[in-house]
Amino acid sequence: MDTLVQYILDSALFILKGGILTLKLYFVTILFSIPLGILFALIKISKYRLLRNLTGFYTWVFRGTPLLLQLFFTYYGLAVVGITLQPFSAAAITFVVNYTAYLTEIYRAGIESIDKGQYEAARALNMNYVQTMRRIILPQAIRRTIPPTCNEAITLVKDTALVSVIGMSDLLISAKEIFARDFVITPFLIAAVIYLLMTTVIVYFFRKIENKYSIYE
Amino acid sequence: MNSKFVKILSILTATVVILAGCTREQSKDDSLKKIKEKGYFIVGLDDTFPPMGFRSEDNNEIVGFDIDLANEAAKRMGIKVQFKPVVWDGIIMSLDRGDVDLIWNGLTITEEREKQIGFSKPYLNNRQIVIVRFDSSVNKLSDLKGKIIGLQRGSSSEKALNSNESVSKSVKEIKKYENNNLALMDLTAKRVDAVVIDEIAGRWSMAMKPGSYKILDEDLGKELYGVGIRKTDLNLKEELDRVLDQIKNDSTGEEISKKWFGTNILLK
Repeated sequence: MDTLVQYILDSALFILKGGILTLKLYFVTILFSIPLGILFALIKISKYRLLRNLTGFYTWVFRGTPLLLQLFFTYYGLAVVGITLQPFSAAAITFVVNYTAYLTEIYRAGIESIDKGQYEAARALNMNYVQTMRRIILPQAIRRTIPPTCNEAITLVKDTALVSVIGMSDLLISAKEIFARDFVITPFLIAAVIYLLMTTVIVYFFRKIENKYSIYE
Repeated sequence: MNSKFVKILSILTATVVILAGCTREQSKDDSLKKIKEKGYFIVGLDDTFPPMGFRSEDNNEIVGFDIDLANEAAKRMGIKVQFKPVVWDGIIMSLDRGDVDLIWNGLTITEEREKQIGFSKPYLNNRQIVIVRFDSSVNKLSDLKGKIIGLQRGSSSEKALNSNESVSKSVKEIKKYENNNLALMDLTAKRVDAVVIDEIAGRWSMAMKPGSYKILDEDLGKELYGVGIRKTDLNLKEELDRVLDQIKNDSTGEEISKKWFGTNILLK
């Protein structure tokens, strides 16, 4: 019994070491892609046609190709033409660019779902475009887009496992390595528990934000 | 009435015993019979492992030294071959699960693997070599101190490096890739300083890119290649060893070896 506990602890420790990489990548991606997503969403509904088309092209490409392929391209593809990124930078850039594309569309839909009357009322109060967006439209849009953003945040936890293709040792690959060594499924169970804990925290966190923003409805 | 009952009972018992005996006799080893009935065996391989098994540039067919050898062996057994690409770090499990019948892909015979699976007689010599960039300052194993090493995850290269603790403890980082080619790409991109690789595969890759890599004189150990077989498939192993011996000793084996390596390196 003692040896089993020891084995599970040792394995969990090894897997958690890989988990640190997963967490780092997770926070970098969230930190950059949410503000960028809001920015691009605003550009996508702006009156500048060229900018609108450019963001449209961007979301089309990055939502339309596999994340795995983008990861390969950023890491191995760019190296061929002389742009040599370190694994973490390559992974972070790819994940931010990919997730921003999805979030852009989510926030665009959120902003467009706000009733026309809100804009008219803001204009009646003599607000300019920036004031209207900041005080009236965006708070409501963000409230509405919290659930889909939470979905993306959960998907991201699991997508981070893809970085093993560029030679990084994340949570899942660490579990796989123990499995390959010992031929027992315990490491996979441990990995599953860690993933579940991470998503539980995320869901809890988003529930809190949702409650906070509910005053706007 | 009572004696009748005993009679029936004893007949039943006898039948059960005989039947049980039969099935045990069959399940003892019908591996070869099953394969012959099926008409083919399935070879599991990493199809990114030149020159043993890889996709040809012309038509994307799987070609290679091991492929030719497997085809020849099957021909002599009077059956066909199916090649099935699988992920290397799960390849032993594919064999255990029965997804593939043989692993024939430059598989190094190691103690750990022998605990899990059986092996045919060895057919090739191999070494674990260290490849560095041509202009690298690394010239011997001790120069690897503080360097980043790349290798294929789950390969015998990984094992060879780990078992040489004076080297593996001194390096800065060991980066593990899905296959050798990705590790070599990162060597070219200067994101790793050295790659530990099978000599057979390493020399092939170096020939593809002349002048970009060099091999250290010291190696990380010698090893043997064999065909992986399920431990229970004794008949199949026997038959395979028989046709392999034939191939090794007649001109076909020599031809195949010359085609891929220029000389006959098959073990006798």
